Amino acid sequence: MNAEAKKEKKVKVSSAPKKKRKIVSLDKKKARVGYLFVLPFIIGLLIVYLPMIYQSINYSFHELDPVQGGGYKLVPVGFANYEEALLSDSEYVETLFSGIRQIVFDIPAIVIFSLFMAILLNQDMAGRAVFRAIFFIPVIISTGIMTTIDNQNMLQTSAGTSIDTGTGTSSVAQIVNVMDIQMLFSNMAVGSELVEYVVQLVNDIFNIVNRSGVQMLIFLAGLQSISPAIYESCSIDGATGWETFWKITFPMISPMILVNAIYTIIDALTRVDNPVMSYIESVYSRSGGNVLSSAMAWVYFIIVMVLIAIVSAVISAYVFYQRRDA
Amino acid sequence: MDATKKAPRVKKESKNKIKVEFEGQMSTWERIKLKVFSMYFLQTVVVHICRLILLIGLSYIVIYPFISKIATSIMCREDFVDATVMLISKNPTLDTYRAVIVDNRFFEAMINTAILSLSTAVVQTFVCCLIGYGFAKFRFRGNGLLFLFVILTMVVPHSTLHLAMFMKFRYFDIFGIFKLLGGGVFESINILPFTDVSFINTYVPFLILSATGLAFKNGLYIFMLRQFFRGVPDSLEESAYIDGAGTLRTFLTIILPISVPMLVTVFMFAFSWQWTDSYYVKVFFTTKGPYTFNEVIASPPRSIDTQYAGGTMYATAARNAAGILILIPLIILFSFLQNFLVQGIERSGLTAE
Repeated sequence: MNAEAKKEKKVKVSSAPKKKRKIVSLDKKKARVGYLFVLPFIIGLLIVYLPMIYQSINYSFHELDPVQGGGYKLVPVGFANYEEALLSDSEYVETLFSGIRQIVFDIPAIVIFSLFMAILLNQDMAGRAVFRAIFFIPVIISTGIMTTIDNQNMLQTSAGTSIDTGTGTSSVAQIVNVMDIQMLFSNMAVGSELVEYVVQLVNDIFNIVNRSGVQMLIFLAGLQSISPAIYESCSIDGATGWETFWKITFPMISPMILVNAIYTIIDALTRVDNPVMSYIESVYSRSGGNVLSSAMAWVYFIIVMVLIAIVSAVISAYVFYQRRDA
Repeated sequence: MDATKKAPRVKKESKNKIKVEFEGQMSTWERIKLKVFSMYFLQTVVVHICRLILLIGLSYIVIYPFISKIATSIMCREDFVDATVMLISKNPTLDTYRAVIVDNRFFEAMINTAILSLSTAVVQTFVCCLIGYGFAKFRFRGNGLLFLFVILTMVVPHSTLHLAMFMKFRYFDIFGIFKLLGGGVFESINILPFTDVSFINTYVPFLILSATGLAFKNGLYIFMLRQFFRGVPDSLEESAYIDGAGTLRTFLTIILPISVPMLVTVFMFAFSWQWTDSYYVKVFFTTKGPYTFNEVIASPPRSIDTQYAGGTMYATAARNAAGILILIPLIILFSFLQNFLVQGIERSGLTAE
């Protein structure tokens, strides 16, 4: 077989008759079949997705001009849409900044909470399956139409009624009073911003629990991949649980922290109840097919991409990768 | 403790046989004392109780909205002006459910949504499986670059593409071929009777997006399946090749059966996210389109009278009833597939790398 292949090569070099079939290695054959498997995606990318991206960017540089008898004509206007979005629409800029701030503040909260929950649910205990199922429920059902229903309920309950829907900040605010906590901590050497942040998180616990489902699963899978032998040797050496967490669990799970931080940003970006996206949607529906919304969406997207780049750069500096082949 | 005194006595019975006598064998009480009244036991108990309280408390946060939804949805009209009613209705009724089912044509919406979700979920599961397998097991040129595009589809929110997506499927065309053949470019050539196709108000846009792995969160499924297939040993396929199976046959008869838990997980995600979806439905369906779960179903039904003091809450109750009705099929499905789901997620291999 080997000799034959060599012969083939020689023949090829001396530009021999082309009739003879070329021998294709198994790797190459497999590579060709590989294209077949990803073909649906390639087709979709070329026919649907990339044109859509191109069109969306294109729209943001144009003005839609209604043509008589239906349809629109595109009139190029350069950066006018971007200028309008950033310079003359103060509400957009405000929503944009508060939205970005919200994402930045949510990252540590969601990542820490989901890590905590994953460690808790990874321990052996009675009813673990039930708790896992409960914390997994929001992943499946708190999307789309259910979020819409919750949001509408929230709008109406804020008008003040005795019945508590349990969603949003309105319900827990009765348990934790911001003023009380602030008074409690006012004399301690803790910054009031920090106190306010923590209180906000506690009041927003519903959202945090609801949004940390997938992250929790990722952490759970990560925790299960840590070899029990490491923990065993740790306990033989007399390490306490606290030490074990910081010296073993935390470094081993750090790649997952990076993944989850990025997932949290993406998830916040693509959520239905994202305030910036809702604002952009409202601009879109304001005058059927407003191209201004395209420009706004791209500005937001670029800012979030920059945010992802910064976050991943910062976290990956601290990530520890275990060498698996050693 | 007087341990020395109670040391077991060893008697030699025969040449190579001994008998050990425990003189004062520990009494039950002593055993209990040793086991229970130790610091270690106390610590374990405290940890267990704290953990349980914490978990129950957090579960309550997750579950409470549903309890509240169920509770308010069965309240009668008068309960909302009665200040003494908090969660438990004085006269439970199913009025709101009837109103949602009759006025908001719930079952029509459910059947339409079921057809849509089922077909897209099946297509998405199969296609994402194909694509994920392709990315995981074949080293073709451009593998990395293409996978970057998969990540891109995951990252760019589809709301960014709202207008572009609508336009794409309103005037559907492949590289301008339809326009060319339909006489849109040159007046004389007129092979096709149309210059573009409108897929608005049909299920076609959903199916096209699903069949090309571009629908909602498909990037995530492809990523999950790719990680899973990377964990499947190559030797499995190699032995199939040696036995004379082709790549496709290996995929269908060897790979698919072993990845059932993963496929069920993906199917579950795809189905439930399409089931509760309100965004794509809004983009592709106008008022003339198929009636699916959208804001209409969550709007107050006509037959319930909200023109009184508790009106807004009564409308909320109707909305909650709609929400519960939407969730019931999902919960039934979830309870059937739950075992697969946990297995699938644990084996998803999201951790590799």
